[in-house]
Amino acid sequence: MNEEQQLIGEMARRMLDDHCGPAVVDAAEQGDYPSALWTLLVDNGLTTLGIDEALGGAGGTFGDALVVLREAGRKAAPLPLAETLLAGQLLSSLEQRLPTGPMCFVQGDVSLNESGQLQGSVHGVKFARHCQTLLVAARRGEDPVICHIPAGTVAVTQGKDLAGEPSDDLDLFVQVQPQACFEIDEAKLDAVLVWGAAMRSVMMAGALEEALAATVGYALERKQFGKAIAKFQAIQQQLAVFATQVAASTRAAETLMVQSEIASIDVAIAKARIGEAAGICAEIAHQVHGAIGYTRDHRLNHLTRRLWAWRDAFGHEAYWQERLGRTLLADQTGDLWQQVTALG
Amino acid sequence: MFQGMNFAPAQLPGELEALRTEVREFLNAETDWHPNSDFNAGASPEFSKRFAAKGWIGMTWPKEYGGGGRSFLERYVVTEELLAAGAPVGCHWIADRQSGPLLLKFGTEAQKQAFLPGIISGESFYSIGMSEPDTGSDLASIRTSAVQVPGGWCLNGSKIWTSNAHLNHFMVTLVRTAPATENRHEGMSQFIVPIHADGVTVRGIDNLAGEQDFNQIFFDDVFVPDDHVVGEAGNGWAQVMSELAYERSGPERFLSAFRVLAEFGKSLQNDATESQARLYGQLVAHLVVLRRMSISIASLLENGLMPDTEAALIKDLGNSYERLVPEVVRLYLPGQVPKGLAQALEECVLHAPSFTLRGGTREILRGMIARGLGLR
Repeated sequence: MNEEQQLIGEMARRMLDDHCGPAVVDAAEQGDYPSALWTLLVDNGLTTLGIDEALGGAGGTFGDALVVLREAGRKAAPLPLAETLLAGQLLSSLEQRLPTGPMCFVQGDVSLNESGQLQGSVHGVKFARHCQTLLVAARRGEDPVICHIPAGTVAVTQGKDLAGEPSDDLDLFVQVQPQACFEIDEAKLDAVLVWGAAMRSVMMAGALEEALAATVGYALERKQFGKAIAKFQAIQQQLAVFATQVAASTRAAETLMVQSEIASIDVAIAKARIGEAAGICAEIAHQVHGAIGYTRDHRLNHLTRRLWAWRDAFGHEAYWQERLGRTLLADQTGDLWQQVTALG
Repeated sequence: MFQGMNFAPAQLPGELEALRTEVREFLNAETDWHPNSDFNAGASPEFSKRFAAKGWIGMTWPKEYGGGGRSFLERYVVTEELLAAGAPVGCHWIADRQSGPLLLKFGTEAQKQAFLPGIISGESFYSIGMSEPDTGSDLASIRTSAVQVPGGWCLNGSKIWTSNAHLNHFMVTLVRTAPATENRHEGMSQFIVPIHADGVTVRGIDNLAGEQDFNQIFFDDVFVPDDHVVGEAGNGWAQVMSELAYERSGPERFLSAFRVLAEFGKSLQNDATESQARLYGQLVAHLVVLRRMSISIASLLENGLMPDTEAALIKDLGNSYERLVPEVVRLYLPGQVPKGLAQALEECVLHAPSFTLRGGTREILRGMIARGLGLR
């Protein structure tokens, strides 16, 4: 990461350390949305990073946004930060100015008919209830379009995902203005999937680093048989495996952060690899924490439940593994070793 | 992630691609050996000599001793190309990776002048003499010992698991030169022992694949002159430990199953089922990330750092990967298994137990990682 990214990361980390402790995460799950924290992120330009200033963004690269999202993952920040950054990426790629307020991208069985009516229902939209703007991916006939609508026009049924984060069902029956709809191609829809997978990858990497630190800390504190459990080889060997998985995840995530242009093949590698690490590490984290880690009171669940949710979002490991495999097998420009070395 | 761990993204400089092409061209022109992805399994004095003629042995060493004066990252490129091609590197491998750098760091001026040119020309091959019949992971428990005699030392004992000793000329041997005290790490020294010296016997040991790649060596009153003691007598432990980051973070720690994966991919092409494509993608994702981690460490080494914990971590992760590849590929083979794939798989299954033993067992490496985590 370059110096600027290190500064951005440190700034985000300080802000979240001060304002996004475990109590905030627990309260958010009980419905107490941390709006003051959101305002703080907005005021510091963190919700529009990677988007051109001319379009109302804070400038910087997509990688800069990923740097902040890793910190958000580390602190389990219960805010629509990834959702807003993702919708912002999409708008800016359509050369549209950003509206103010949190946004999210909505994709499901939605159609746009001849008379400009958007109709459909979408299940499990993260943070939809807190968003002011929805970017809805719909079909006009066979053709994909994106419609930009105010959130107030949609019926929201509140729900939660397995991380306990807002995950709402939307019923759409909305008249939209022609100027609020943009024709796109399938490649653009795929780009949204790639951006979303990149975001979840770095968030998992942050949560994994935090979970390792928490588990090492717990092993050093917890005493059994007259000594810290960290002194037992059985525990040490488990934590060493944990560390190898975290190191690989961090390396895969940072690859994305330093790219000037995000490469979908590296996102496939990151999402597949880090998603795999998430399962392995969550298991070890809970095993080492014992029963206390299985309670809602202990903060470990803030991290592990998010890891379990995020590894399935924007394509799980099997999806990205297969996609990566097929991409490489179809590429006739070189053998596997040439492909691997060309990836750098 | 935790104190001192560092896998910051680093890339091989683009200008090294010309060197990569040169190595690929050299390897493509080679015809008298079959690819073998395990660096331990193929050894050819003729190949090593031709390879040396390109200036690729000792390529990072100072020019004053005949070295190439090139960067560690350039060596990385050459090394990984050799391994990916399955070249028979066994003869020069240890001298190039370990014995030469050891002499450069700790050897006397006379030793550098006496021993390095032979390594660089591909004429002198080296073995590592660490393990003994009763000493594996607990290296400080060695019993091979030497007592001072006029002009040198009289050596007795035995070393084991010595790769290619039957083809090699010298063994850098860790020896107890003073009785063990409370500090077990004191009183050890490293000797350069000519394998053909009087009193040295080499007995081959077949591995479970039926190949004679390692040996047991016996020393019966072997005279070792003073000028064959590496560095300072008594400093052996520190010297041995200083080699580990180089030994553990290189591409040989995750490429031992590469040929299986490459042959698997060739056999699939566009006919892959969902499960086959998924497995291929999974294994390539692991490989790419491992290689990137290894290059991050190579960049630290290039800058003079000694990331021992990170190196142990890469070796453990890489070895686990090498063990995984044959275990899962065998379950998703195409209906007609091409001969190249079948051979690579069989060879890999038979060699796999050694991956997580040689150069530090999985358990020892995980102990080192645990220490890096502050658990010990």
